Amino acid sequence: MANTRLYTAIFVALFVLATAQVAVEIAGFVESTYWVAFGGIMLLSLVKALAVAGYYQHLVYEPRSVTYLLGLGLLAALALTIAASYSIT
Amino acid sequence: MFREIFVVFVVLGTVVGVVVLGYMLLNAYRYRDGADREDVRKADGDRPTLGELPEGSGGGRKLFLSFGLSTVVVVSLIVWTYGTLLYVEGGAAAQAEDPLDVEVVGFQFGWKFTYPNGEQVNGVLRVPADRPVRLTVKSEDVFHNFGIPSLRVKTDAIPGQTTETWFMAEEPGTHTAQCFELCGVGHSAMNAEVIVMEPAEYREWYGSLNETDGNASSVAAPAGGVSTP
Amino acid sequence: MSDERDTAGSGTDPDADPAPRPDGGSAHAHDHGLPPASSVRRWFLTTNHKDIGILYVVTSLFFLVFGGVLALLIRMQMWEPGGAVMSGLAYNQTVSTHGLIMVFWFLSPFAFGFANYVVPLQIGADDLAFPRLNALSYWLYLASGVLLGVSFFQGATFAGGWTMYAPLNIPLYTPQVGASTAVLALLLFVVSVTVSSVNFLTTMHRMRAKGLTLRRLPLFTWSILLTVWMMLFAFAALLAALMILSADRLLGTMYFATESPGGSMLWTHLFWFFGHPEVYIVFFPALGAMAEIFQTFTGRRLVGRKWFIAAMVLVALQSFIVWMHHMFLTSINLPIKTLFMATTIGISLPFDLMVFALIYTMLKGRIRFKTPFLFAFGGLVVFILGGITGVFLGAVVLDYEMRGTYWVVAHFHYVMVGGVTALVGGLYYWFPKITGRMYDEFLGKVQFGLYFLGFNLLYFPMFVAWETPRRVFDYPPELLPWHRAATVGGFLLGISFLVMFYNLYTSLWNGEEVEGNPWEFGHTAEWAVPSPPPLENFPGRASYERGFLDFVDRMTADGGEPEEEADGYRSPLSDGTGARPDGGSSTPDGGVVTGTGGLPAEREEGGMAVSHAEEPSHASIWPFVTGVGAFLTLVGLSGVQGGSLPGGIAGGFYLGTALAGGLVTLGALFAMGYESFHAPEMAVAERWPFAGVENTKLGVWIFLASDVVLFGAFIGSYVFVRFAYGWTEWHIVPHNSLPGLINTYLLLTSSFTVILAMVAAEHGSRKGLLASLTATLLLGIGFLVNKGIEWAELLHEGIWVDSSISASTFFLTTGLHGAHVLAGLVITVYLIWRAWGGAYLGEEGPIEYFGLYWHFVDIVWLFLFPLFYIL
Repeated sequence: MANTRLYTAIFVALFVLATAQVAVEIAGFVESTYWVAFGGIMLLSLVKALAVAGYYQHLVYEPRSVTYLLGLGLLAALALTIAASYSIT
Repeated sequence: MFREIFVVFVVLGTVVGVVVLGYMLLNAYRYRDGADREDVRKADGDRPTLGELPEGSGGGRKLFLSFGLSTVVVVSLIVWTYGTLLYVEGGAAAQAEDPLDVEVVGFQFGWKFTYPNGEQVNGVLRVPADRPVRLTVKSEDVFHNFGIPSLRVKTDAIPGQTTETWFMAEEPGTHTAQCFELCGVGHSAMNAEVIVMEPAEYREWYGSLNETDGNASSVAAPAGGVSTP
Repeated sequence: MSDERDTAGSGTDPDADPAPRPDGGSAHAHDHGLPPASSVRRWFLTTNHKDIGILYVVTSLFFLVFGGVLALLIRMQMWEPGGAVMSGLAYNQTVSTHGLIMVFWFLSPFAFGFANYVVPLQIGADDLAFPRLNALSYWLYLASGVLLGVSFFQGATFAGGWTMYAPLNIPLYTPQVGASTAVLALLLFVVSVTVSSVNFLTTMHRMRAKGLTLRRLPLFTWSILLTVWMMLFAFAALLAALMILSADRLLGTMYFATESPGGSMLWTHLFWFFGHPEVYIVFFPALGAMAEIFQTFTGRRLVGRKWFIAAMVLVALQSFIVWMHHMFLTSINLPIKTLFMATTIGISLPFDLMVFALIYTMLKGRIRFKTPFLFAFGGLVVFILGGITGVFLGAVVLDYEMRGTYWVVAHFHYVMVGGVTALVGGLYYWFPKITGRMYDEFLGKVQFGLYFLGFNLLYFPMFVAWETPRRVFDYPPELLPWHRAATVGGFLLGISFLVMFYNLYTSLWNGEEVEGNPWEFGHTAEWAVPSPPPLENFPGRASYERGFLDFVDRMTADGGEPEEEADGYRSPLSDGTGARPDGGSSTPDGGVVTGTGGLPAEREEGGMAVSHAEEPSHASIWPFVTGVGAFLTLVGLSGVQGGSLPGGIAGGFYLGTALAGGLVTLGALFAMGYESFHAPEMAVAERWPFAGVENTKLGVWIFLASDVVLFGAFIGSYVFVRFAYGWTEWHIVPHNSLPGLINTYLLLTSSFTVILAMVAAEHGSRKGLLASLTATLLLGIGFLVNKGIEWAELLHEGIWVDSSISASTFFLTTGLHGAHVLAGLVITVYLIWRAWGGAYLGEEGPIEYFGLYWHFVDIVWLFLFPLFYIL
């Protein structure tokens, strides 16, 4: 738990990834290939979120049931969003 | 079509209800405390006791049989109605005759009808008999629902959205359209008259529609109450 | 035995005189710091699950009367076509509040009164995991109900139906202040429910007696377990919907405005995604009560029990994938309609199995037709009828005609009030346990007769007159006899409840006293303790390790006497005989037992001496005060419209009340955090699947799971609205992403400092702890200041919440996130204050829990930033 070096490393990585997202925008990918940029940027966000959840919130070390609990919530929100959006196509 | 499906459901539902409830009542009587029965005496050796670890009484064959039967009944019913759903969703254009397109706009608290020639009439819908009528329904304020029960038509009227439905009336007559989604203080009186005319009469009326004022209606909409269907 | 009853709270009447205690003061050792049940103070200070259960039951019955009177007004209006009694606006308020009150303020709280009382007893726990939060749930519930009452006096209460469809729900169409108050009242209710869900989930997963695995849980507890799982996720979606609606009403956002193309549909999706699980949330406890009552009064264990449990689990899961069947007539496309038709039929199938299981349990039974069983049986009968009529609605082509008609009204009243019927059975069933007295059986049967007749006379004619539109009080003359019959039935049903109130009230005083188990074949743990149970529930640690209920010496998680098996002691509960012919250990219903129907007194006293010498106080006034504060805050906020308060005295009143309420709430929460309240973990318990995650941490995670759904629904709403608008035509509000990026850096760094704080606490470094917590606070303040500057600039350009739908989503979603940051900073201030005084060194728990919340807030921003600033 008291693994300060790991936490620092993750902090640096998060910083870099956040900057990378804006770099994608500045490089003009959002204007030229919107959906590819969308996928890339959201993927970067997902990686950051997993790092924070896994190590700062210690989910990697907790019983897997806790991860599933949060996964359930996420699944519910995603199901609602996707089904609702699809229904008006 | 609706009538047929409805009747089948009612009959089947009644049969199922009578059978299940009858069975329940019969067994409630049969197994009342004090009834002297062999199977009850046998079961007396194994009744729940205070403090026992909760468990079931096993047995499941009857359960699975009933469950299986009810599943078959319910699923068949729905599959059967699916065919009709596809027919309804197929739309007026799938019919043999050319549909009449009318735009319906709901507002607080009435209905406006716009015909293919662009004329709009408030509170009365006139359609010819024996011809499919396609309704495109919208709302200019809140969520309403446009329904003509006696012609088996109904669809939501949603601001920002468009819904579509269709019907074909076989006989001339008068019907009432009502609002089926709470929309404000005038919801209970949000009615419109629907007049199904002989095709020839309809054509005559439609022709004259161009000559009169765009928003006038030749028959005033009933302000409240219900007109005889 | 009579000692226990006095100190433990024998009944609902605080003014009953306690019987004299032969030994004067020794009872104080185990009163948990609570005043006696006869005093009014007791009820404001208590955190005991049994007291709170009683509070819920009594309060919910009051709302039953309130909602019932509204129902009778509806029926009176329907006596004549065209309406005999009230105006359109009054009628719309009546139908709306009737629905809201019955669904929210009566049904679930009524069920949860029993859940509160019975579940800890059934699982062998002393209380819920978080007793003060339990009290808080109740006081927030009561506050929300009072707030709803207030709304009637502010112009008009909400008049857009309990379904609150958009855009009828926005001020343009329902301008009255009372409508906003009603929405806020419901919002407060949802907060109460969320707190409750966290509490019950933690309790039921981590505080079960050893040997009582989930598979072995009593069926009522199972039904509550699934109910709270559904509640956790479903109510978060409703909370999102209500927050958005409140923002539209109070702040002027435009989510549901007529101009917002997806607005109406957004509401229907959010509401029904909640609304469908809600109907099972409301029904499941009734199902659990039915299962218990059927088993007890037939003397048979449930047939197909494990399939019954599987069916309940399936329904709970499936309840989240059927919601669009409430939307078959909207603009949704055919493929999705077909999918939801299939899932809807799918969910009716497990119910068939459960119904059959209950019916088959009667076979080979010895059925006694006592009042609880009459109601449970009657409830099943009407539920079956309701269920059959529901299949009609699942066939889309029939729904096309039946939508918005009285067929729907009749269907859902048959199933919902069928649930009420079973819960009334539960009330009679557990009444002797709660009060120690038996109700009058004859009057119970009288009520049942009136009830069943009234019920069917009220609702069956609605099927015949089904073509009448909902919420419409005009109909063709040929339907007159049916609507009139319904009105008569309604009054009969109401009168039957009067009989019930009379019966239960007089039985409180004059009913025959009962011992622990007045019901033959009652077998779950609540029947193994006295009626009513003592405050601490059990005379030792309840355990099923030996295959039956047993009590061993207690040992709390923080030390105490080591476990010792009583030499050769066997609880009489463990005689598995109970065979009737030899008159064994089963007891006749309603009778006073002279033999072994409860616990022998000497064992209990022995247990007492060991475990209760230092029983800490479980009294706390702060949940009540928080409830008062919440009430005042929301009364004050209800006056806001379009982002501002009215002028003059009214504006001053609202502002003053909101500020006072805010201060009271904050103060009470601080006090609750600071006061010493000791509710130790059980040393030995079943904990699957959350073994290794201690109670408070699990509570925080469960809360965060619901917060995931809340933010998910907000982000989902943004996605949906943007999709309806045209994704790429959407205008992103912030001009450039730099402020957002800075905020991302600030938040990421603050997550890092929180982790450092936890490490410092672990190492016992006060300086390190204070430094990192202060850094977190400063970084968080920086985040808010940066956001403030950004927003001020936008406002300066004329871009505010009501400028466009795009601005609405931007400000509200990032605003909700900002509010979470602010709440986190308030907690940080509290932690700094405590750390200054030397707390948390070596006990980093609270820092860790705060960190979980803070990292969650950070994670949400990681997704908000790209969605609102870049893409």
